[in-house]
Amino acid sequence: MKKFLSLILVLALALAVMVPAMAEEKVTLKIYAQYADDDTMVPYDYAKEKLAEAYPNVELELIVQAQDDGATLLGLAAAHNLPDIYQTGAGIMPTLRGSNQMMVLNDVAEKTGFADKVFESAKNFLYADDGNIYAFPYAGNEYVLWYINKAVFADAGVEVPTTYEELLNAIEVFKNKDIVPLALFGQEGWITAAMFDVIATRYNAGGIKALDNGSASIKDEAYVNAAQTLYDLTKAGLFQTGVTSTNYDQASELFLSGKAAMFLNGQWYIEDATKALGDDVCWIAYPAPTAEEFEASKHAFSGSGSVAGYAVNPDSPNAELAAEVAAFISEKYCEAKITLRNNPLVAVNTGLTNDTLPPMMQDLVAEIPEMTSTTAFTWGLTNQVFTEAIGTWTQALVSGEYTVEEVIDEIAAAME
Amino acid sequence: MNKKKELRPIERRHRGPGAVIFSVLLWLYAVISLYPLIWMIFYSFKSNEEIFVKNPFGPPISWQLSNYVNAWTKYDVPLYFKNSVIVGVATVALTIVCAAMFTFAVARLRWRARESARTFIALGMFIPVQAIMVPLVKTVSNLHLMNTYLSLILPYAAINLAFACMVYYGFFKTIPTEMEEAACMDGATIYQTFFHVMVPLVAPATITILIYVFLSAWNEFILANVLVGTTANLKTLPLGVLFFQGQFTTDWGSMGATMVIASLPAVLIYCLFSEQVERAMTVSGAVKG
Amino acid sequence: MKRYLSNKWAIALFIAPALILFVGFVFIPIVQVFYYSLFDWDGVNKATFLGLDNYVKLFGTSAFKVANLNGLKFGLLITVYQIFFATLFALAVTDKRVPFRKFFRTAYFIPVVLSVTIVCQLWVSIFDADHGLLNTLMDRLGIEWRQNWLNGRYSAIWAVAFVNAWQWMGYQFALIVAGMKSIPQDFYEAAELDGCTTVQTHWYMTLPLLKDTYNFCLLVSVTGGIKAFTEIQIITRGGPGTATNTLAYIMYRQAFVTHKYGYGLSAAAILVLECLVVILILNWLFRDREAVKVPKKGRVMA
Repeated sequence: MKKFLSLILVLALALAVMVPAMAEEKVTLKIYAQYADDDTMVPYDYAKEKLAEAYPNVELELIVQAQDDGATLLGLAAAHNLPDIYQTGAGIMPTLRGSNQMMVLNDVAEKTGFADKVFESAKNFLYADDGNIYAFPYAGNEYVLWYINKAVFADAGVEVPTTYEELLNAIEVFKNKDIVPLALFGQEGWITAAMFDVIATRYNAGGIKALDNGSASIKDEAYVNAAQTLYDLTKAGLFQTGVTSTNYDQASELFLSGKAAMFLNGQWYIEDATKALGDDVCWIAYPAPTAEEFEASKHAFSGSGSVAGYAVNPDSPNAELAAEVAAFISEKYCEAKITLRNNPLVAVNTGLTNDTLPPMMQDLVAEIPEMTSTTAFTWGLTNQVFTEAIGTWTQALVSGEYTVEEVIDEIAAAME
Repeated sequence: MNKKKELRPIERRHRGPGAVIFSVLLWLYAVISLYPLIWMIFYSFKSNEEIFVKNPFGPPISWQLSNYVNAWTKYDVPLYFKNSVIVGVATVALTIVCAAMFTFAVARLRWRARESARTFIALGMFIPVQAIMVPLVKTVSNLHLMNTYLSLILPYAAINLAFACMVYYGFFKTIPTEMEEAACMDGATIYQTFFHVMVPLVAPATITILIYVFLSAWNEFILANVLVGTTANLKTLPLGVLFFQGQFTTDWGSMGATMVIASLPAVLIYCLFSEQVERAMTVSGAVKG
Repeated sequence: MKRYLSNKWAIALFIAPALILFVGFVFIPIVQVFYYSLFDWDGVNKATFLGLDNYVKLFGTSAFKVANLNGLKFGLLITVYQIFFATLFALAVTDKRVPFRKFFRTAYFIPVVLSVTIVCQLWVSIFDADHGLLNTLMDRLGIEWRQNWLNGRYSAIWAVAFVNAWQWMGYQFALIVAGMKSIPQDFYEAAELDGCTTVQTHWYMTLPLLKDTYNFCLLVSVTGGIKAFTEIQIITRGGPGTATNTLAYIMYRQAFVTHKYGYGLSAAAILVLECLVVILILNWLFRDREAVKVPKKGRVMA
């Protein structure tokens, strides 16, 4: 009898231990992501929702990304305390790769079929220079667009400019009507570099990308001309006074409230611009030195995507699972961008389409197959020293306080 | 007490045009100092459009209550508030205790290396936080303090030590040496002298340091972001603004609302306690002489 | 008595907590700043020894020269502004004849309590070249002096320094007030009996008695100028071009944007050295020259 009872006891104990272990454990993954405006909140919330369905035992703990030029991420990397999943950009990747804090994701990409679903045009955002996958991208190609407010133009009786000559005339007219010709958030180096690029690409289609990878030099005639043009336009009054201390929202408000005729920004701005200005807003091909050059180069664009996306910390206790989840989230981001943000420019082929894209986006989608070349945004450049230099000195140029020689010399000096 | 009456005749003599101009200056500057508070409150109720284009300075044309709703719901404000209080109070306590003891030894006790020790601590005033961020984070990590309150309290106290010691030094120096002699003759140990004689005498310094160190810990962002940024339940108030700063666009109005929520308590506490501060300062002044 | 004050155990006990904290969390990181400035380091991975190459490179850049000059300009403006107004207002607030003293005392300190981001936003609006308060005010008053405050290559640093000066004046103010509060009332009565005017009293008695306080205030403001970073980061991002660069800003960009942490640290090292020079100079300037210091015996003024 005693033996029988003790056997029952042992069995009961064993079951008591095993049963909970057999039930699904909740895994909490820390994820470091952008989460502040609609563009970043909508995809994240959507992905989180879908994740709850596909991976019910996974909890996401969000850590909001700081706009601090990656200082936080660097600090976490230095302490070997990176979150399980984190958003990363091209700039910090060499550092993280060097300290083995970026998991090599080739296997997981294979297993989940992520690698196959990436668009051809986005394949070089997936694979790093050594052929490995370090992050799951979600953003596709991005472009610098020259937005104009058609109503403001019509009101002032100005034609859409195609040459710099016409642009200078337009500036005159707008200034007399107390309208800012082109609002620029010159506080940020990347947009002043983009401003320089949309001019430089008229002279050399490689733009700042060519300077970055060394296939062109800042002292080449093309770039000196571009710098001179930007200088002349600045002096003629293309931008608002105080351009170098104007922030993104300030410049954006100038444009959306009709106080500025033109605006330079990425294509992600289409959504907000359409919401505020409706049919009055559209984007144009960048003006060029002469009419012939305009025709020849109007399909050469500035900007492009970059190697970025969700990376995984290989030292995480749930690295494999985290990698799968990261791939999943990236894919869901793409879905959200297409269906909820009217942005079909994503990295992964989700099979979804959106038939109600705003007119500007439809124009862009139609333009993409025609594009002859693209360059890069500063965060997609590979040479960090050049990135810093081009941002700083194009800002100097649009302030009008530095001469063209100074700017060119400084950039050249930085590149040595 | 009857000394006050002697002052009056002079008061009448000196109220000339100089005094009037001076008065105007005082009031003008007070207005300039207080306007930002009102501006901040207006700002927190405006939309981006009003802030940047339509109406930067006046009261809001349309009051965006949504800013405050956003500020309150985007993150757990009471939690962050509690964390800021804990970190702030602990930092202040630690700083004051360490600094008072250290400066007492440097200013009043006799040992050879005391001037060097003083300059040594002063080094802490010269270093921008960004420069030591990575080494500091590594140190905290090596001590296995990451993601604890101590990961903030210890560095904050260490960084504020330099300032606290320098302020205390000035005050300790002005106390006549007779104080220690008297206490010694009364049979007090050096420790009792410190606690019961010295510390009360430097109360104005303590109050000043308390206010400043608390504010410094309350508003600190850079280190907090790296040290506790990844642990949701330890975050301090300054980290709340992250929820409003996007990669490109920023919800300035809601950010302003967050800052109002964050700084208003500090302002209120300061206003309320300035009475006590005033009293503490004058009381210890009377002890002198 | 001497033994009482040289009690080795007591001394050790008193200085230990502060020293441990300081050495661990501040001094060792500072040493690491100097150490890593000799390396090519990205903050995380292995460092390659470079000797003084980082410094040579730094000295050759135009930004370095600009940054040093800016540090001095910044320090100069905030020192003059803050010390002047802080003294003036501290004297007012501790003078029993001035009405509403308590209100002024609180008011002048308020800017210190505000978040630096809000303060910067405010002054950006005021300094705005097109619609800012300052330019509009000057137009209304008929003064022909519209400036592009924040974008001028040479004016920007002064504008940004002004923001800092304005915000932190309250802090110097509080320090000086605290100092003044510990001057015994008897001294003022003695001065009055001697027939001194208010100005004479303050110039010959109050200010000299606050020597140590002023030494400290000057140290804070001058080194604050050399260390300037936050306002520049928020308002001008070092621009236009490199016009508002400071050593701390260079350090930040090099460390986090170009990932040349070691190179950035060389700028930080120079910054620390410059501040050290400042403290040495100030200590020498404020050294106890005459026998007349704070009277240790109480009432009688020498």
